[in-house]
Amino acid sequence: MSWFWAIIGCICNAALVLVLAPLFEGILRKVTARVQSRKGPPLLQPYYDLFKLLGKEDIESGEAPWAQRFAAWLSMGVVLAAVCFVPMGFNAPLGGAGDALVLIYLLMLGGLCTLMAGLAAGSTYSLLGMSREMMLMITLEPLFAVAMIVGAVHANSLRLDAVLGGAVYEGRFGVSGLLMLVVSAASFQALVQRVPFDIPEAETEIMEGPLSEYSGPKLALFKWARMAKLVVYAALFVALFVPWGSGLPFPLGWVLFWCKVLVLVLLVTLVAATHARYRVDQAVRYFGGMLVIAVFALILATYGY
Amino acid sequence: MLTPEQAVVGAIFLCLGGAVLTAAVASSRRLAGWAAFLVTALSGALVLAAVARVFAGGASEEPAQFLQMPALGFALRLHVDGLSAVFLVLSVLVAVPAALYGIRYMDHYSGYGVGRYYPYFLVFLAAMYGLLTTTDMMWFFFIFWQMMTMPGYALIRYEHRIRQNVRAANKYLLMMQIACVATMVGAELLALTGAAATGAGGLKYDFESVRSNLPAMLQTRPTASAIAFGLFLIGFGIKMGMWPFGQFWLPDAHPAAPSPVSAMLSGVMIKTGAYGLMRYFLWLPSPAVRAEFPMASWGALVVALGTITLFTGTMQALRQEQSKRLLAFHSIGQIGYIMLGAGACMVLLAKGGSIGATLAAVGLCGALFHVLNHGLFKALLFLNAGSLLWATGTQDLNRMGGLVRLMPLTAATACIASFSIAGVPLFNGFASKWHIYVACITGSSAVKYLAVCGLIAILTSALTLASFMKFFGASFLSRSSKLVKERFASRGRLEVGGLMQVPQVFLAAACVLLGIWPALGVVLIGTALRQSHQGWGEALAAGTTASGGAWWGVTLDNGAAVFAPAGVALVLVGGLLVALWVSRAGGASRRIAEPWLCGYAREGEHNRYRAHGYYGEIKRLFRWVGGGWRGSMVEESAVASRGNGRKSG
Repeated sequence: MSWFWAIIGCICNAALVLVLAPLFEGILRKVTARVQSRKGPPLLQPYYDLFKLLGKEDIESGEAPWAQRFAAWLSMGVVLAAVCFVPMGFNAPLGGAGDALVLIYLLMLGGLCTLMAGLAAGSTYSLLGMSREMMLMITLEPLFAVAMIVGAVHANSLRLDAVLGGAVYEGRFGVSGLLMLVVSAASFQALVQRVPFDIPEAETEIMEGPLSEYSGPKLALFKWARMAKLVVYAALFVALFVPWGSGLPFPLGWVLFWCKVLVLVLLVTLVAATHARYRVDQAVRYFGGMLVIAVFALILATYGY
Repeated sequence: MLTPEQAVVGAIFLCLGGAVLTAAVASSRRLAGWAAFLVTALSGALVLAAVARVFAGGASEEPAQFLQMPALGFALRLHVDGLSAVFLVLSVLVAVPAALYGIRYMDHYSGYGVGRYYPYFLVFLAAMYGLLTTTDMMWFFFIFWQMMTMPGYALIRYEHRIRQNVRAANKYLLMMQIACVATMVGAELLALTGAAATGAGGLKYDFESVRSNLPAMLQTRPTASAIAFGLFLIGFGIKMGMWPFGQFWLPDAHPAAPSPVSAMLSGVMIKTGAYGLMRYFLWLPSPAVRAEFPMASWGALVVALGTITLFTGTMQALRQEQSKRLLAFHSIGQIGYIMLGAGACMVLLAKGGSIGATLAAVGLCGALFHVLNHGLFKALLFLNAGSLLWATGTQDLNRMGGLVRLMPLTAATACIASFSIAGVPLFNGFASKWHIYVACITGSSAVKYLAVCGLIAILTSALTLASFMKFFGASFLSRSSKLVKERFASRGRLEVGGLMQVPQVFLAAACVLLGIWPALGVVLIGTALRQSHQGWGEALAAGTTASGGAWWGVTLDNGAAVFAPAGVALVLVGGLLVALWVSRAGGASRRIAEPWLCGYAREGEHNRYRAHGYYGEIKRLFRWVGGGWRGSMVEESAVASRGNGRKSG
């Protein structure tokens, strides 16, 4: 029966993320507009955008159209696969098929699709964006990995249900967990590719970077995957660092979980609406500094703090 | 029925005979090539038969003696145990495709005869078989080492009219001789005092006698034995490209050699250093000398050196713009992973306890698995680089681009190899790195610093991904360069021929197979460890319980870590199907158009984004790691491209 529930859980998670992601994006756009004294688009605008894009002409300008198509499919495929390893109100449905390391690398694979997309499109702007995306990934991926590893070190296990259940705060004082909470919160905007760290896309500067040569259904897939990424990372953040209340009985715990995710998305929005984009060298240095703090937290964690 | 040892000796002599044969028929390129391939394949079959017997439980208890010189105190004694078997499998898996690839590849060296290629290639291979099985730590070690070094030297300076190749070969020769001397002095130190302690003459340099003398030796002369082990570490470290020695010779030597030889150098030859490290540090001491042998300190040293090696090697690779030089630096980086795994195994063994033994086995399993995987994907990458060189005539990534259209099969295999080395899940590199990370992270409860080393390894794997995105993107994707267009116009077809495709496809298939079915590799290594009883082998074999979990995956026996590629693949395919359906659902039409460059610029050679432009900020931030090349290494055009000033990304 565990097979059955795993499959049901995967489908539920995937469907939920696909359906809710544009809604969160809509909220995000509305709130951003209000913060900036604009009226903003209707709440459901992202749904309309996606549906419209799905039917629009698909223009391919790269020398490797197959690679372009595959990158687009994979970007959505990876997010849907990663969703199966993230707890969303319940334990991760596929926790028996992969551990924290698998999740870290699956999320890295998600970034890799954007890189492939930029490379396959091949225009100067897309390559510029791809190069920036990779530089951010180099500095961000370890940060995210440390957050998981601190949990794993405390729980002495890499299993998802052990790591993603507040294990980061275990230990004598939980200092390492708190440090990682600060570091992760300070780099969360970059993980979900939002202002002030949307350097690879930078619409006003290099015109969506890796995505500048995409249109129609491919662009829809990339955009949808990016919206879904916000939900996935928010859910992961909540599972890692805000586990309180997840033990409540079914409807309560589940509703509470999604409320926490929503609050996190609102926080992201507020930061995004009130900050200006950093340059890539500033960002890399910033995350380099964060990484030093994270390593310090990891050392504390190994000593049980 | 041949014993494993007889089969290996047969393979060695077959290769030596083949060397004479190919030298005799060297006037016909094609004939010599096929002869070399047949001899390699036959010797490979013999070796695989030997290995199969060992895995089936037929390993001999004692080394087999073939040639004795009692007056000189040494004998040709070979022993094929599980550890040797893993490395032997690797040499066959790399050598046979490399030999097949060479038949057509060598055609493009029109100015150089093959009489100085195939014979050396076969002697080189014979030496590898010998070095991986001999138990003589002195003279036959010396003979096989020189049999490997001298042909290697000749192969690296194959294009001897290019001055930098000769210089690279000289550097290689010098470093290998230093390594040889270091290792032999180490053996002499252990053997001399050992013989004095027991009064036994005869085969005093034999691995068995050194091992049985080791407890006495460690008690009576701890300093001399510490120096001996230090010399082993230096000797084998030089061979496998450990920081700081590797950077001297390896990045110069690998690009200089013809590509199939680069594949052999990087895929197999530097692994003999890893073999030596494991053999001398894990199979020479045994649980009996636990109190005397400072395993924890040596392990810590290997872990530290491995971590530095993997970071520096990969960071320096990020700065390279020559295809084979980039791959060579990555060989250093990946050797770091192997050292990290082996070192973690040593420190965890020293720590002891049941969890220590299990995780130590996981670490060693990861190291051995990575030896196998790195051999496969790095050999493939060097063959890919060879195909690029064959098609475009250059190693300079700045001058390539857009080759995926013209060389689809090479591009597909290069993509698989790049994903493998970068540790993308469902490819073999991830499976072995996963073991090493698990050993480091869960092992940190016993040995604190392992967690940080594991983290650096994870960071480095992101760097590896960056570097291979550049390698793959700059050569196959992005835009066709002027050079590629010209070559295509003049040659009409750039994709390599079938004889060069088959080895690439074979290696790529092996990478994918081990990636989605890692249990195959893990079970193979577990079986191998159960067939090597000396030293710590027995204890490690007892610890290898992390094996074949559900869905073709691997599970740590206490369930603390789990990786089931079939499950991951299933959801990924499911997600892909959903994406495919979504993208088709709107019924959008497709059209091909020019790229959009703000409406005022046109694409041209001058605004093509070249390999030089990638990751400017990271390269600047980590300039202190080094790895920039000296002017002499640069081809004429790279100088021109560097003159365009820096382009920050």
